[in-house]
Amino acid sequence: MAQDYTEWLAINVLNDQQLISYRSLSRALKVHSNLAKQMLYDFHRKQNAKKPGAVHATYLITGTKLKNVAQTNGFHSQQDEENTVMQSSPPLPSSSAPQPDDDTKTEAVAVRTVMVAKEEHLSQAKAAFQSITGVHVYSLEVKGLSDIQSLTECNRKILVDYASEDPLEVWKQYGTIQNPNVMRRTQRRQPPPAATAAPAKTKPSASTVKPAALEKRVSKDSQDSKPSSKPTSAKATSEPSKKPSNVKRQGSDIFKSFAKSKTKLPRTDSQSSAAPSPKPVVEDEPMTGFSDEEGADSVDDEVVDAAADTVEGKSKAEREADLQAMMDQEDEPMEDVEEFKAEATDADAGAIDKPFSQPKEELKETVQVQDGRRRGRRRVMKKKTVKDEDGYLGKPQPKPTPYTVNKLGANEHIVTREEAAWESFSEDEPAPKKIKVAAVSSMQAQGQKKDKEKDGGGKGGQKGGIMSFFAKK
Amino acid sequence: MSTEATTLRVIIAAFTDFLTVAIHTILYERAIYPPTSFLSARKYNLSVRQNRHPKVCEWINDAVSAVETELLKGVVGRVAIVIYTKDNHPVERFMLDVSRFPTVALADLDTPLERTAANGDRLPILPRIDMEEQFRATLSRLASCSSTLKPLPEGCVFNIAVELKQDGQPPLNHPQPWMPVQSAKGDAVGGQLQKKAVPVRSIAAGELLLECWIEEADGAS
Repeated sequence: MAQDYTEWLAINVLNDQQLISYRSLSRALKVHSNLAKQMLYDFHRKQNAKKPGAVHATYLITGTKLKNVAQTNGFHSQQDEENTVMQSSPPLPSSSAPQPDDDTKTEAVAVRTVMVAKEEHLSQAKAAFQSITGVHVYSLEVKGLSDIQSLTECNRKILVDYASEDPLEVWKQYGTIQNPNVMRRTQRRQPPPAATAAPAKTKPSASTVKPAALEKRVSKDSQDSKPSSKPTSAKATSEPSKKPSNVKRQGSDIFKSFAKSKTKLPRTDSQSSAAPSPKPVVEDEPMTGFSDEEGADSVDDEVVDAAADTVEGKSKAEREADLQAMMDQEDEPMEDVEEFKAEATDADAGAIDKPFSQPKEELKETVQVQDGRRRGRRRVMKKKTVKDEDGYLGKPQPKPTPYTVNKLGANEHIVTREEAAWESFSEDEPAPKKIKVAAVSSMQAQGQKKDKEKDGGGKGGQKGGIMSFFAKK
Repeated sequence: MSTEATTLRVIIAAFTDFLTVAIHTILYERAIYPPTSFLSARKYNLSVRQNRHPKVCEWINDAVSAVETELLKGVVGRVAIVIYTKDNHPVERFMLDVSRFPTVALADLDTPLERTAANGDRLPILPRIDMEEQFRATLSRLASCSSTLKPLPEGCVFNIAVELKQDGQPPLNHPQPWMPVQSAKGDAVGGQLQKKAVPVRSIAAGELLLECWIEEADGAS
């Protein structure tokens, strides 16, 4: 065993002049990562003892660094002062913002840092740390490393070469970091793409954290692509088709930015086949188109909840695919509970409303103008609350609400979905403003005398949103 | 992209993409421009360096399209990226041998090519995955080349040269993107310096046959 690794490293590092990281070594020799790190260290020491400078190493240092937060950015205070002197206008005497030259207001924040350093910079890098929790050899290469980004190539190779291994089986062997809250889905839907491909958005409580992805986060490779090139080409086709719909965007900026970023989440999953990815990607296109039109009509609540939505890190298309499957199941009691929705559930509603519009395309929105009133049928978004098994689209209720009638099981959650429904409306022309309607409705609630017809017409005429709760025409 | 018929133009387009990335990589590795002027990009599923300065990018794009024009005529033997010192002595050359590209008549530039094996099976003209993998390997080798080469003196400049095949006509039309250089005996650009060659990689992806090596001038000042 001891001989194996020396030989293997001699062949790969010295002869083939490849870049070998501890991860590649552990996968190749089927050993634990920590053992691989020790092997690298040993080989490095022995080779350099025989001939100095034969093998070059990069190190991974983990620890805490102190960062001086002077202004809004977190750079060193000297840089900040330079920047603020040049860019910002002199602060007002009455403003409470920290003055640039007032050092007593800068605070030192301890930042947990993981750093990869070349061996020639090792002592310098170590000195920059306030306290070091761990140092180990990251990779070995012969004759020095010029571009540290070439280390990303190691991880891509691992992804390609060892795609057939199931992370949940081999994690013990390799020592990949595990999250005990992770469950593998056993439903007939295809396994969801790993959410950890978006490391910036991953939180410790995020669901479906695949074990392999945590190691990827440590490395600098933030955009692994699947072994097959099909999903990347499918994604490429969906992106240009999104661009024409982007032009028509009238929705709020927050909604727009989240709609874009979600579909850009790269999908990394060594387990799932390539088949699910073209399908949800194809469905992505018509969805984003609709979201543009409806975005302007949606209530502000939805927009805020869409913000909470991206934290989950699930892609819109994936959610939609699951929704379709849920629709097929059709065994849940539909409860029309008027309830103040939990934040997370409404986020799903905001994203899911679009696919329902597809099957009902044969019905058209018609508007007729008859002697001063607009009448006709049109689509509005109505909210529906359902009980959902296994909570894929919902989240556990934070606390019992007065509207919860049944006690939910461990895996059941109440989900509020927004569905497109047809509504016939008649309203005055020109369409009254929303603000005016809100004022009208509040005034009516207070029981003041108003033109009843005008009020009713005004409320009924609003498209979707909260007004649908109050309008009972 | 895989549905279009592979013509010589497609092969040359793939090569010129690679040439552009290779030039950027070489500029980064040999520190012709300061490292801070480079941003990280992705090409062929590999993280590469690209220069940010618009004039540099413009110059490289123009040079590569001039190379492409010559390639389409089928007269190019080799493409060289030459590094000169401040006083115009060539120090290094990064060579790409393209003489083994398929030669077709001018009228057939857009004709789909076909390739059959000995037993009559149709073979792909340009297998994309294979080609990307080989490009990736070549760029990785180029990226690590600077550790094996001697450090360059300060203030080096670079230029792109093409060596024509034996029967090639030099491009002397107006406007003239190329400067003709008198070739010394057996050696086009670089004079009679003693050289040593470091092989980088040879690429064989369907009909795209390419060789890449680095020539270093010994005794560079």
